[in-house]
Amino acid sequence: MKKKVLAAFMSTVMLAGVLAGCGSSSSSSSSGSTGSAETTAAAETSAAAETAAAETTEAATTEAAADTGSGDFSGEDPQLTKDFHILSIWAEDNDNGVLINQICKDYQKVNPNFTYEYELVSSDDLRQKISTLAASNDLPDMFVYESGKPIVDLIDAGQITDIGALLKETGSSDYVTPAATSLLETLSGTDTIYDLPLGLNVEGFWYNKALFEQAGITKTPDTWDEFEEDLKTLKDAGIQPLSCGAADKWGATRLINAYTVRTMGADAMQKAADGDTNYTDDGYVAAAQKIQDWANAGYFGEGVNTVDMNTAGSMLMTGKAAIFYNGSWFTSNLNDTTANQAGPDGIGFFNVPVVDPSISPADSYSMNCGNILCLSQDKTDEATKWFVKYFVEHIGDVAMEMQGSVKGYTYTTEASDMSGYTQLVLDEIDKAKSAFTWYEATMNSEVSDAAQQNVQTLLSGEMSAQDYMQSIQDAKDMSDM
Amino acid sequence: MKKVLGNKKAIALFVIPALIIYTIIVALPVVWSFYYSMYSGSPGLKWKFVGLANYGKLFRDKNFIDALVVNLKYIGFTMLGQVGGGLLMALMFRFWVKGGRNAVRTIVFFPTVLPTVAVGQLFQKIYEIQPNYGLLNSFLSNVGLQKWVQPWLGQASTALPCLILMDIWTGIGFHSVILYGALLDIPEDIIEAGRIDGCGGWQLFKNILAPLLRPMIISSCVFSFSGTVKMFESALALTNGGPGNATRSLSMYMYSVSFTYNKVGYGSVIAIFIFLMCIAGSFVINRFDVKESYY
Repeated sequence: MKKKVLAAFMSTVMLAGVLAGCGSSSSSSSSGSTGSAETTAAAETSAAAETAAAETTEAATTEAAADTGSGDFSGEDPQLTKDFHILSIWAEDNDNGVLINQICKDYQKVNPNFTYEYELVSSDDLRQKISTLAASNDLPDMFVYESGKPIVDLIDAGQITDIGALLKETGSSDYVTPAATSLLETLSGTDTIYDLPLGLNVEGFWYNKALFEQAGITKTPDTWDEFEEDLKTLKDAGIQPLSCGAADKWGATRLINAYTVRTMGADAMQKAADGDTNYTDDGYVAAAQKIQDWANAGYFGEGVNTVDMNTAGSMLMTGKAAIFYNGSWFTSNLNDTTANQAGPDGIGFFNVPVVDPSISPADSYSMNCGNILCLSQDKTDEATKWFVKYFVEHIGDVAMEMQGSVKGYTYTTEASDMSGYTQLVLDEIDKAKSAFTWYEATMNSEVSDAAQQNVQTLLSGEMSAQDYMQSIQDAKDMSDM
Repeated sequence: MKKVLGNKKAIALFVIPALIIYTIIVALPVVWSFYYSMYSGSPGLKWKFVGLANYGKLFRDKNFIDALVVNLKYIGFTMLGQVGGGLLMALMFRFWVKGGRNAVRTIVFFPTVLPTVAVGQLFQKIYEIQPNYGLLNSFLSNVGLQKWVQPWLGQASTALPCLILMDIWTGIGFHSVILYGALLDIPEDIIEAGRIDGCGGWQLFKNILAPLLRPMIISSCVFSFSGTVKMFESALALTNGGPGNATRSLSMYMYSVSFTYNKVGYGSVIAIFIFLMCIAGSFVINRFDVKESYY
């Protein structure tokens, strides 16, 4: 009898073991987040309470600032003691990490009582890390973040400093360029900035001059009609007119965005995101249709969905395609003499051609600020303000001297060895009078995923433009549910 | 021995440690998933109790249905290819290949040990169309079948078959080796007796080999099923779920929902669905075993 019980028990365990093998994939989702879940769940209630508290202190401090005038920021640095914590995604010897560290070191010469701690997190983990820190009300003094939708959540929660007001107080508003300011305001949907730019990029069409010449095109197109004519001319001359990295998806949605903005204005995507219009309205569908027509006409060559942005870029540089849409960061590839077979003057740039100048003028560019810097509302004090004042007043020059790049701040020096391509980008940025954002800037991750994934089936012709926009609208409805 | 197993304390000593570990690493997360599935958002971000609303959402979610269909197609065809192809391979080793049997087996088994990401890269090159034709397209183009040249991975209609083909290629060696081992266990005299009684090739297979191989074929199916129902890394490496949603599996969708869309609650519902699917699948496969063992 006992043996039977034992046998039954053993077989239950074994059966469970069989199921365990299958069950592992399903449990991974929960086990992965279990650790953080406990802490954040506990923190949630306190966070809610503290947000309320933060709001009241915020009101209190602004009032106090207004009453006493807070302090005079025009004279010498008072050398306040401060331990400044910075969370970044760039190593100290890489990209913007170099600049931030340089500024901190320079500032220590002005204020010897200023110490800083530089913490690194991988860019993939950034959002997760910040949301955990925000939930436990422990954001670092200064941290790198993403503009657009992610920052709006932090603003709504009252977690980050109104930098626009801070700069006004310290009298250094003019050091952030108007283009960058207006762009950041648009992205956060506010009339002041809550973040500092760490880059200022323009996007547009890069073209291979030799291929243009070969097809007999003498000047870059200014209007959309001219543009399409040129595409046809190139195609007829046996040259692939466009290369596009649709394997990376965003390369394709930028093209839809370009036409959408030029026909419907810079706020078209914002309106759809707010629900004032539908993504399925005619204008949006027409833009998607335009790109599909190009694909059908063979302008992108064969198998556009299998080409990534890097390959698409090298196709432009090696003369396999004539035009390529990308941002000003593409200059780093162009400056690489081994990759760029077109030479130091072989590639040119033109802005997205205009459809109707009264809707979207020629001096309006697709721009973005890359990653941005935010300040913790709770930890912003007098010493922080002095540091930020120093930061915005000097980073423009430091970036220009060390990297020859524009970060969205005014600068007075010139880089010693600037390539033609870098100069080209600087000239284009100077021409920009207003900016519009990228296709997914106003979308949350769910909607943006739909827009990006389905653009491939749009290009391959397996989904109509109408269905494509419908899938974006569906994703929006679903995410609001 | 009987004395030891008759002692309840001894049984407890043997079973309880394993049971505790099992409960902690398997049963608990499943229960936890169920608890999570009744919340919206993800912990720390818009985490609210919503009851069974997430379950109601499941079958109205077009993305979920698409992913389920993709997953089922993938399971069906890949299992058929891996086990069926593996069986054919094994029969070939046993009856046709005379010389160099070991060399052939090594070559066939070799893809199984390659890392999935490397295989993904390899097949991306094979299916390539831009900027240069890959192996497949240049072959087609050179033998005069230019009209068959396709962006194999760039269109929804061919991407899934391409993925399935790749995974059959990877898995077939494993299954053929298992089944070949089972074939070797069948005594030569049984086969000879069958031959003397006048069995042709097909009859030999149907009446003698297949029944004797059944337990091994079922094991093979279980292996293949548990490997394919997960469908994640090979699709990620080859197509990243694209183009569109053509190769996005349930687990990939669950991952996006939980960690990209920050809806761990809804993601847990999908996880539970995958869990139930696993149980149902194992159950169906094992039914074949039970039925046949009676005679």
